[in-house]
Amino acid sequence: MTHNEARLLIGAEPHAAPNLELAEHLATCAECAQFQSEMIVLDGNIRRALEHGPLTGTPTPVASVTQISNARAARPAKPPSVWSGWALAASVAVASVLVMWALRPGDTLARELVTHVEYESDSWSSDRVVPPATVNDILAKAGVALDMGSDKVMYARRCFFRGHVVPHLVVTTSRGPVTVLVLPHEKVRERMNFHEDGMTGVITPAPHGSIAILALGSESIDAVAQEVQQSVHWLSQP
Amino acid sequence: MRGMRNSGPETPVSSYDGSPVGAKAGDPIVTLFESMRPDLLRFALWLARDRAIAEDIVQEALLRAWRSRDALKEQAAARAWLLTIVRREHARLYERKRLELVALDDGVEPEGMPSPPGPDSELDSLRGAILKLPLEYREPLIMQVLGGFTTAEIAQELNLTSTAVLTRLFRARNKLRTMYGLAPAADDAESEGVA
Repeated sequence: MTHNEARLLIGAEPHAAPNLELAEHLATCAECAQFQSEMIVLDGNIRRALEHGPLTGTPTPVASVTQISNARAARPAKPPSVWSGWALAASVAVASVLVMWALRPGDTLARELVTHVEYESDSWSSDRVVPPATVNDILAKAGVALDMGSDKVMYARRCFFRGHVVPHLVVTTSRGPVTVLVLPHEKVRERMNFHEDGMTGVITPAPHGSIAILALGSESIDAVAQEVQQSVHWLSQP
Repeated sequence: MRGMRNSGPETPVSSYDGSPVGAKAGDPIVTLFESMRPDLLRFALWLARDRAIAEDIVQEALLRAWRSRDALKEQAAARAWLLTIVRREHARLYERKRLELVALDDGVEPEGMPSPPGPDSELDSLRGAILKLPLEYREPLIMQVLGGFTTAEIAQELNLTSTAVLTRLFRARNKLRTMYGLAPAADDAESEGVA
């Protein structure tokens, strides 16, 4: 094995166990052994640079489900119940009805929307206008256009939601920042308002699927929702 | 309101197959995918060198992964499987030239990839040097070091011979050596011979 052949193998796989031929070469060649030592050190630094590189110091844009689960698990537990047996049975019955009510498709969608927006809590505080070309590109992939001032969109991403990638925008309105999710694959029969986890929202039927609009706080969102809804134009069958 | 009408729509995202899939937040496979999102994003960032593009790549990859989830036979293989999808999604973007790729090798800083503040300027410099590697060298290096792929796996994925992959890996590290003031090793490797 030549020096160059040895260095090619070392440089390509510094941490790999040397084959017999390379091992024999290294045993008799101090220069190549030195090269190997240098490359192992370099490779360790490369690994550290890659593993702690671009994401260090910057938030992961979408929190993992695990993180959210952990955060939710960390919420303070309610005190144990002291109800008697009959009261407990009655409450179970009531709870069952409530769960069935809560699991209506529309409400499930609302809850998942809130959860999704909570994942991307940074979206509310963005103070940089998203370039119109970026917004257009994101929306166009969902077959929609937004007829709104180009300086109003402060956040625009394509997000994985219920098995589809959908546009997720935050726009500035008279009510403050409002989140808009265009949901071509989520059909709803009628307009639905909801309040959950400190957010107010509305899901409105659209020509293709629906549009969800959410804002922080309990103040009515109806006027803004109507404005946003009128600004969204469907360009194609999604 | 000022007009900001979109230009003509591109192929909608939903046109991959158009079938309703209905992923649920509590679905174990969704949980598995989501738990790997940081790794996928990091991998995509090193490939794409642009945060917004990397995020798009990961979203598309997750969507493709969800729709092909039946192909994932073992959860233990999920990471490599997802990284492969991310790499292919990046290659798809790159090859189609849908993006106006800037010649970052000329010294333009990648967008959305701030160097982390810290005393370790050596690592910062190394990150900069890695980002400036041409994709043909950067990609196998990232696959090997960050993705844990073997030379044979990289060769298969990149449609190269194992020798070609070894050469690219050697050249990638050889370029990075110079950053430390070390003399680069002689490079007399013959042409790579794409398979």
